[in-house]
Amino acid sequence: MGKKELKVAFLLALRSLQRGSRSSVILTILIIGMCFTNMIFLPAMFNGIGQSITKQVVDYEVGNVLVSPKVGDQYVSDLGATLDLINGMPGVERATPHFTKGATLKYRQRILGVSVRAISPNDEKYVSPLYTKMVAGSYLGEADTGEVIIGKPVAGDPSIRQEDEFQPSLGGVRVGDSITIDYGNGYVKDYRVKGIYFTGWSQADSAVYVTSTDMALVDPKAQDNADYITVKAKPGYSETFIKNELIQYGVTPKVQTTADLLSKSLGRALQSFAIINLVSLIVSIIITTVVLFIVITIKTINSRKQIGILKAIGVDKEVIMHNYGFQVIILAILGIILGMIITLLLAAYMAVHPIVTPEWSATLYLTPMDLVMNSLILFIAALVAGYVPAYQVSREDIQTAMRA
Amino acid sequence: MIEISDLTKIYRMGNVEVRALDGVTLDIEKGEFLGIMGPSGSGKTTLLHMLGLLDEPTSGKIVIDRTDIAKLTDHEKTMFRLYKLGYVFQDYALVPDLTVMENVSLPGMLRKDLNEAQCRVASTDILAKIGLLDRQDHLPRELSGGQQQRVSLARAMVNKPDILFADEPCANLDTENSRVVLDLFREINESMHQTIVMVSHEDWHKDYFHRTIRLRDGKVISDGTNGTKAH
Repeated sequence: MGKKELKVAFLLALRSLQRGSRSSVILTILIIGMCFTNMIFLPAMFNGIGQSITKQVVDYEVGNVLVSPKVGDQYVSDLGATLDLINGMPGVERATPHFTKGATLKYRQRILGVSVRAISPNDEKYVSPLYTKMVAGSYLGEADTGEVIIGKPVAGDPSIRQEDEFQPSLGGVRVGDSITIDYGNGYVKDYRVKGIYFTGWSQADSAVYVTSTDMALVDPKAQDNADYITVKAKPGYSETFIKNELIQYGVTPKVQTTADLLSKSLGRALQSFAIINLVSLIVSIIITTVVLFIVITIKTINSRKQIGILKAIGVDKEVIMHNYGFQVIILAILGIILGMIITLLLAAYMAVHPIVTPEWSATLYLTPMDLVMNSLILFIAALVAGYVPAYQVSREDIQTAMRA
Repeated sequence: MIEISDLTKIYRMGNVEVRALDGVTLDIEKGEFLGIMGPSGSGKTTLLHMLGLLDEPTSGKIVIDRTDIAKLTDHEKTMFRLYKLGYVFQDYALVPDLTVMENVSLPGMLRKDLNEAQCRVASTDILAKIGLLDRQDHLPRELSGGQQQRVSLARAMVNKPDILFADEPCANLDTENSRVVLDLFREINESMHQTIVMVSHEDWHKDYFHRTIRLRDGKVISDGTNGTKAH
């Protein structure tokens, strides 16, 4: 096949699409576009959920690496020395301890069971964006005592009656209000609500935070112990690098990366997502292939006589085959472009209006590689679907074709 | 120019054999305007298709311009048709999605020895010759039957073929348009010394031919000249 033959094949293809049935062309492009959208939407949605959960776990639970007590121990002990060791390692942005106690909140007639998390507010700023999520009041100061910040769902909404609440709350606590925390060990204390935050991550939003200084008054063990330490990596350093480094440096408690933790907790969910993605991908490819196969088969059947005539006047069978091949290529490219436009519009819409559940919020997670890979898969499927009938009809002998 | 010896074509339909051509032997000279006539089913179109490399004989030999057709590969036959033969079909057989100019240019566009400009000039010349240059941007469906057949003739002639084959080119035309088309064939034959082989069942067409052969049941039953051969 020379350049001239390809040029003629392209001209025949272009004219057929330009001057043939316009509705058929538009419908075919629309179907390919929809298949592309279907191929990419569901995986992007699931990836978005996965990314969102991962980010929230990193931001509000684990950081990049979680240092937790050895098996059989209740706490990470020798806290000061452990923190100094970790904070001195290359690649570590900051390590910060967490000490959590179950407690009961009391506000007017409302009683609510919560987790009270003790943090070092300044160090926590390096690890978690919690301080940027204040919707009222302000974040904790390092030496604050008698002050607490609470999640918006815990604070509640005074306009909603208790029996109508989706999840129990204190019924409308405001900044400056006083709430009572009963730690269950006989320590009961009144706290002033310094701030109310909302992160979108339910475990963080249903907790309350106090300073480590304050917690040490409640439980002296909090002075030199932690339930766990969250470690934030500096940009450019991987979680695995930090984990290996911690182990090498002799940090004796259990060390796990976010990926380690999520592979256990989210592993099955991600596996299910992957299976659904695969099914969706296969269905889309089958639909596209079948539609294009039918479109090109009908075209070739309707054009058998014309194909015979073209061969009779000296047009090579390769030119005839590539004519239909080019038609499929043009339809596939236009369909993929349409699909990309629809997908990007959906992504833009969902960036403004994410899917929000009480547990997490998620948007479409798209990467250029996803777009390229799906385009390539659809394009190859389209080529196969178009070239098979084109190859068959181009091999038909002239007499049979002309008599059609 | 064309030597045909003992040409036979048998179609098999189940257990039934139909002998469409039965030992046809014939020579066609360069520049001749040959008419093939005969009743329906006599084998006219079958003979034309054999000569035009559109079908293969069951037995016998065809030599065109010293080339034994049977020895050509499928691709060589395609190239032979492109470079040396031209065809005009009964139902015009134009590509409906191409304009008049594109239809006429199509065979020229595939020739390796013509560039785009030369192809355009050749197409323009031939369209001017048949009087349809002003319709070059029209689609076939926008033309009358006679005009479409003239475009079909222009497409067949654009590559200046050695032999022009025409399969009942006036079958779908009224008498007036038939005369216009036949006049064009005669003009091409006379002015360009073009070899033409035309199948027809209209008796009055023989006035245009130099020589007429008549077929019946696949056999040549008469072969005569009418003394009007050009040059």
